[in-house]
Amino acid sequence: MIEVRGLNKRYGGFTAVADSSFAVAESEVFGIVGPNGAGKTTTLKMLAGLIEPTGGHAEVAGFDSMDPQMRHRLGFLPEESPLYEEMTPRSYLRFFADLYDVPREVADERVGETLDRLSLDHRDRRLGDMSKGMKRKVAIARSLVNDPDVVIYDEPASGLDPVTTNTVLQFTRELRAEGKTVVFSAHNLHHVESVCDRVIIMNEGEIVARGSVEGIRERHGETSYTVFTDVPVTVPTDSLATAVDGRANDGDGGGSIRAEPIGDRYRCTVPTMDAVERVREVVAAEGGSVVDIRSHEPSLEELFLSVVGAPMTGTGGTATAQAVETEGASGKGGTAEGDRT
Amino acid sequence: MRRRLRTVVRIARWEAGGVRHGLDRRTILAALALVVLVGVVVGGGVAAGVAGLDVDRDIYRVGVDPDSPYAEAIEADPALVPVGNARATLGADVDVVVRPTGEGVTLHTAESAKGEAAAEAVREAFESHNERRMAAEGNQTAAFPVSVTLQYESRAATTAEGPTLGEEPTDGGEATDEDAGSDGDESADEDPLADGDGTTDGDDGDDTDGFAVPSIGGGGDAFGADAVGSPGSISPPFPFVSLVLAFVFLVPMNFLIQAYGSSILNERINRRGELLLVTPVHPTDVVAGKTLPYVVAAAGLTAVIAVGVGGGVLSVLAMLPIALTFLAATFVGAMFARSFKELTFVTVAVSVLLTTYAFIPAVFTNVTPVALISPLSLVVLDLQGEAVSTVSFLFSTGPVTLASGLLFLLGVGVYREEDLFTQKPVPRKFLDALAVRLAPVEGSSLSGFRSRFRGLATVAFITACTIPFVFVAELLAVAVLFALPVTVSIPVLLVTLALIEEVAKSIHLYAGFERGIFARTDRVAVAVGLASGLGFFLAEKATAIVQAVGLTDLFVGRAAFGAVAGLDALPLPVAVGLFFAPLALHGFATVVAAVGASRSRVYYAMTLVIATLIHAAYNFGVVSLYG
Repeated sequence: MIEVRGLNKRYGGFTAVADSSFAVAESEVFGIVGPNGAGKTTTLKMLAGLIEPTGGHAEVAGFDSMDPQMRHRLGFLPEESPLYEEMTPRSYLRFFADLYDVPREVADERVGETLDRLSLDHRDRRLGDMSKGMKRKVAIARSLVNDPDVVIYDEPASGLDPVTTNTVLQFTRELRAEGKTVVFSAHNLHHVESVCDRVIIMNEGEIVARGSVEGIRERHGETSYTVFTDVPVTVPTDSLATAVDGRANDGDGGGSIRAEPIGDRYRCTVPTMDAVERVREVVAAEGGSVVDIRSHEPSLEELFLSVVGAPMTGTGGTATAQAVETEGASGKGGTAEGDRT
Repeated sequence: MRRRLRTVVRIARWEAGGVRHGLDRRTILAALALVVLVGVVVGGGVAAGVAGLDVDRDIYRVGVDPDSPYAEAIEADPALVPVGNARATLGADVDVVVRPTGEGVTLHTAESAKGEAAAEAVREAFESHNERRMAAEGNQTAAFPVSVTLQYESRAATTAEGPTLGEEPTDGGEATDEDAGSDGDESADEDPLADGDGTTDGDDGDDTDGFAVPSIGGGGDAFGADAVGSPGSISPPFPFVSLVLAFVFLVPMNFLIQAYGSSILNERINRRGELLLVTPVHPTDVVAGKTLPYVVAAAGLTAVIAVGVGGGVLSVLAMLPIALTFLAATFVGAMFARSFKELTFVTVAVSVLLTTYAFIPAVFTNVTPVALISPLSLVVLDLQGEAVSTVSFLFSTGPVTLASGLLFLLGVGVYREEDLFTQKPVPRKFLDALAVRLAPVEGSSLSGFRSRFRGLATVAFITACTIPFVFVAELLAVAVLFALPVTVSIPVLLVTLALIEEVAKSIHLYAGFERGIFARTDRVAVAVGLASGLGFFLAEKATAIVQAVGLTDLFVGRAAFGAVAGLDALPLPVAVGLFFAPLALHGFATVVAAVGASRSRVYYAMTLVIATLIHAAYNFGVVSLYG
């Protein structure tokens, strides 16, 4: 449904997007993630025909992205979508339906159905008097007024409350179920992970990782193991097959892992099951026992940091990165989604 | 096409609805108050037009016997109030008393400044009365045994000796008192207000006659002058009332552009307009739809005012290009402005500049053809009941109409995501707007002929498109400088014209190099410079219309547009050489500027100065040749 080959965009000497190539299948939700300035929005706007590529080619629903005919098949929701506040949702959506040549009766039916699904009432209230969440729902309804085959959502749930966010994410899943192709970008990687079939991670204009979240995890993430013991232990690292968690090494000048106290237990993190066996041996030698072992699979956020190599910038990204770092430091075993017992 | 039209209308309806809904009650009340105020002004203007501007009506009381033949003269003068002689007490009831003494009369005045002024007014009333009676005589030769020829000074004839205006008589616009008498007959036969409702081929073939209308007799008619009178009663032909009424047409434009500019900038604030760009609607249609309500409003207001002040279709047709220019300039300004603060500056600048451009030349409507650079002059002529030839109408409205169209195209070029929502400085946006219309010209010889031809043809076309702006700017320069002594105006004018033309030929070349559309090589610089020079040369020949309206009768007009005038008087080889000499000039000068533009901004500025000097030297040569 979407075919991108060697797409690039330069502004003078600055390259916003460099030779991006990817394809999106029909009925697929495709995520684009990356830090601010990575080229996500520029890529989305090139797909939507808003920005002319400097080079390469993008084809959407069988049309060149710059072909005005393509826009009949596309629904686009930009990150910021201020509405014409003097209008009501009904008049606003009718206006856009007219621009897409959608007959009035069809438009009214389609708009009514979409707004029902999004649980938006007050359809004759001025848009200027509506909350941010309600306006976002109107904007989403606008993106579907022409019944597009492809929808591009840039940060669709940005700044919304959890209830509205869930509504929007659920709605995105329903669009996939209806056969629509969705390209989805969000700062909140949990949102991306929860709705996207495949993702690309962009950094400094380039695609640095691609595939399903599982695939990326396999290639770029490493499963780690947290071992809980009932005695304090120190495990020499030279006895482990691979390098161990850096935090455990700190303070000893290298060469050993010391389990940290967690309540009445002790915890240490090691990278492999072989290392877990070595810890078990040491604990047994100390007269104690291993009381629990948890595996931890990296979240998309951790994969993202691993791939991009730097904390995310911007409000949402910083908060997410800090959350990962905080949870890791407090030794709670990563995010809930990543825990596997 | 039909679908696009429907879309434009749909957007226009939405825009009109947005304006309607965007206004609060206070704004509507303010607008209504404004309309009432304008109505009062218009009504006052109309009243003044009907009754004359008699601010001195009934200010002097004159004691005169009602049976006296002098009473008729007193009654005819609006400033004087006749009072029965028997009841008149000098100083108390009357300011001056007319008493018969033998065959004449004696004026007895109150011993006050007002009494003296009243006596002077009575004497003027007697003179005017006598002149009216003489003009009404069947035997004009008996009434005016001495014929006086009025000759109006044309600046063209003053240049040889370099005197100032009015020193040497020429052949332009002469009229004897007999001619004047016949003009006066025409005035009497034709109702000027009823006659001014359309564009006709007009007067009797000599356009200058139409501009040399003398005002004789103290301005008895608000829209024209008495054509018969004594030399002492001749006054400059200043169409005061018509100008005041014509100015009323300009007032609504200044308010329209405020609303229009805000609407355009609103689309740019917070990326509101992005959603329209992602629809299948072409940006041109979006702009057309957003502009249409304001054009309709301008046309409607103009029509209402025309009806109110006695203008005709000509007034409305003449005002439309002005309205379009106001809107186009505001559109470009709103596209370039980065905030409402900047937009305020833009709209004020547009108001001041365009009002000046429209109004100042119109002051000289009855004096010189230069006035026709402003379509408002057509409105003045229409209100005076003067006919306007088709050529004059096109000369007056064509450049501004074309200029407004090109301004819209310039703005539409940057009506795209990459420019609408970015905070680029105005010069950068201007260069973007120019560059977006250019096609690449590669430096490699591997680039195909078609591609290169397309690039160069685009350069030539864009240069040709600058002609209306060049024309308007040059006419404005002529209008500003024509009142100065020629020893000053001609050198300044020739350098100014050279600079205007060199900028017009090269600024888009600089944009092309700066934006990487043209390869930065000397070879490409020479190619685009020659293409630009050729485009300018071809388009410049279209300015031959100035000859048709007689602008080259003015010396400064001939200096500005001399290349299109006077070739028929020269031998063929010289004429052919002179015809193509501008091509060589434009090509060479533009190549110089283009080479600089291909290097850097500083080099461009330096080579632009050099090109201007080359061009100015050529202009001096032409003026010397034609001088």
